[in-house]
Amino acid sequence: MLRRLLTASLVIVGMLGLLGPSQAADPVKIGFSISKTGLFAPAGPSQLNAYLVWQKMVNDKGGLDIGGKGRRKVEFVQYDDKSDPAQAVKIYEKLITSDKVDLVMAPWGTQHHFAIAPVVERHKFPLIGNTAASVALRKVKPGYLWFTTPMMPDNLAKEMTAMLKSRGVKSVAIMYNLLQFASENIQFLKPALAKAGIKVVFEAKYPPDIKDMTGMLTKVKGKNPDAVLVHSYPGDSILYMNQAREVGINAKTQYVMVGPAIGFFRGMFKSNLDGIVTMAAWTPGLKNTTGSKEFYNAYKKMFKGHEPDYLDSVEVFVSAQILEQAIAKAGLDREKIRQAVNSMTFDTIYGKIKFNGVQNSITPAGFAQIQKGKIEVVWPKQRATSSVVDKGAWAK
Amino acid sequence: MDILFSPQLLAAALITGVLYALISLGLNLIYGTMRLLNVAHGDLVMIGSYIAFMAFSLFNVGPLISMFGAAIICGGLGWLAYRSVFQNLLSNSEILARLEENSLLLFFGISVVVQNLVILFFTADRQGYEYLSAIVEIGDVRLTGARLAVLIVGSVVSIAAVLYLRFSLFGLAINALIQNRDASAIVGINVDRVQMFSLVIGFGITGLAGALISVLEPITPVMGFPYTMSAFVVIILGGLGNLWGGFLAGLLLGFLEIYGVAVTGPEWRSVLVYGIFIGILIFRPQGLLGRGRVAR
Repeated sequence: MLRRLLTASLVIVGMLGLLGPSQAADPVKIGFSISKTGLFAPAGPSQLNAYLVWQKMVNDKGGLDIGGKGRRKVEFVQYDDKSDPAQAVKIYEKLITSDKVDLVMAPWGTQHHFAIAPVVERHKFPLIGNTAASVALRKVKPGYLWFTTPMMPDNLAKEMTAMLKSRGVKSVAIMYNLLQFASENIQFLKPALAKAGIKVVFEAKYPPDIKDMTGMLTKVKGKNPDAVLVHSYPGDSILYMNQAREVGINAKTQYVMVGPAIGFFRGMFKSNLDGIVTMAAWTPGLKNTTGSKEFYNAYKKMFKGHEPDYLDSVEVFVSAQILEQAIAKAGLDREKIRQAVNSMTFDTIYGKIKFNGVQNSITPAGFAQIQKGKIEVVWPKQRATSSVVDKGAWAK
Repeated sequence: MDILFSPQLLAAALITGVLYALISLGLNLIYGTMRLLNVAHGDLVMIGSYIAFMAFSLFNVGPLISMFGAAIICGGLGWLAYRSVFQNLLSNSEILARLEENSLLLFFGISVVVQNLVILFFTADRQGYEYLSAIVEIGDVRLTGARLAVLIVGSVVSIAAVLYLRFSLFGLAINALIQNRDASAIVGINVDRVQMFSLVIGFGITGLAGALISVLEPITPVMGFPYTMSAFVVIILGGLGNLWGGFLAGLLLGFLEIYGVAVTGPEWRSVLVYGIFIGILIFRPQGLLGRGRVAR
């Protein structure tokens, strides 16, 4: 009898053993929409690549730690939103109600985040935002959406003014793209500069489809400012880089907002980028961070030597790290994940992150400078990997 | 106002104008001979840019060489498009009557397919490369070597193309077709052949322009649309199907944009360019050099 009982027990335990691993092997389905086509398509790979790198890194170590109860691999369910926020709304509805994903990750850009906010709120799906930056994000009701970005326009204005002041800058020329984020930066920057006694000697806004800056830059040169601050996106950043050299803009501080942190841009300008300051708060050598070098190396390995975008890809990876750590604590219960995100302090490639309401309350807005071909974080000083230096003469 | 006498500004206006003229040439040629509204025109610019980028990154061949490859490949695409789609459509008189409107939808579809194919093969990631980045000084004008090359090559190609199309026998045949398709056939012009070569030359020149542009801006699958818009503005301004008119309108648009912005401010660019564009069309609906009525 005892022998039979023992055999039966062993069979049951064996069956459970067989069942156990097969259940644990079921992947965690995570859905998102991505702008693979349309207006934002060129920005899409910075985001998708970082998601893919994170997925590989997680799966290589056996999968996500599900609340300390074993690991499950990550499987993505992704759709092209054609750069259309309305399409993204439909996709997130489908992901949640039809595809029955376990969790969702963020789409690209501020507009898309705003568009899908009601969907994730209604279905109570926690979503760690990335690639969205606007002071208007703070108006989002705290609930199931958080924003990792430190690059809020008001914080950027504060840090930019502090950096310029530390460099003894007395006068600046400001040029900015009329797109929303750049314009919002200027709203906060001008009062901050005025308060610090820094004079704006030239100001011009321009449309996104600008094809030439010669006239504008000739006027800037005539004013001979200590610093030139160009709030630009990759296309107009290229215009500036070419035509500032032609016109002979030689200010010791030159800020080009978006572009220099992206690999293709550095390939276009190489040594001419030395000394240019840009919007970025990360570099692989940043101290007190978790996983920076691993992320950098994994990205380069996965994408044939290409570097990650130091701005968007980094923010995307940070959001994935936060989700990963919240799952490790709370498992896949979405309500528990929400509580974990609200209460935990996360270790990321940006360093420690904690949310206050919907916003990352620890990481400061910051700037990087290209120095001898490398991107160094130069501001704020407590995070800097190098000191900000004068921009020398153009290379050639 | 001293800025208006700056030779640097003059050079910038010339570069912008020549690029507009060069890009619009192919569109004008195709519209003129076949009444095809090629809204995928900018995508040929994009294809030319990718060809130059690939030639540079794979074989270290600069765009001043690869632009010929881009012209041949894009010209080949023109040949393929003509043989596979347009030859049949243009030979059917019933379809021909509606082809102008229908071509808009057809090319829109082609544009979507081409963009998605490029995304599939290259991803949508921005691409770029360094080429002739050193500054060249000519008197008081300082230009990057790449922008100077664009100015020289763009001027030579667009002027040569316009002259060829105006004075060569084949060019005269094209002009005849632009003026009156039916009469051209009656006087013995091989309409089919002229149409095919118009598409090949139009696509080829646009691909070449794309190779030149690859050194000026990020290369992406969606980079073409603004060039489609600019090219349409130029050919409407110059007079649809009028190649000289298009060339002059391209230059005019470039000067208008650069000097207008220098006087008013860059935020006024679109208002200025499109305002004057609409203004000219109110007084000359047929465009600057267009005839009162474009004959079919």
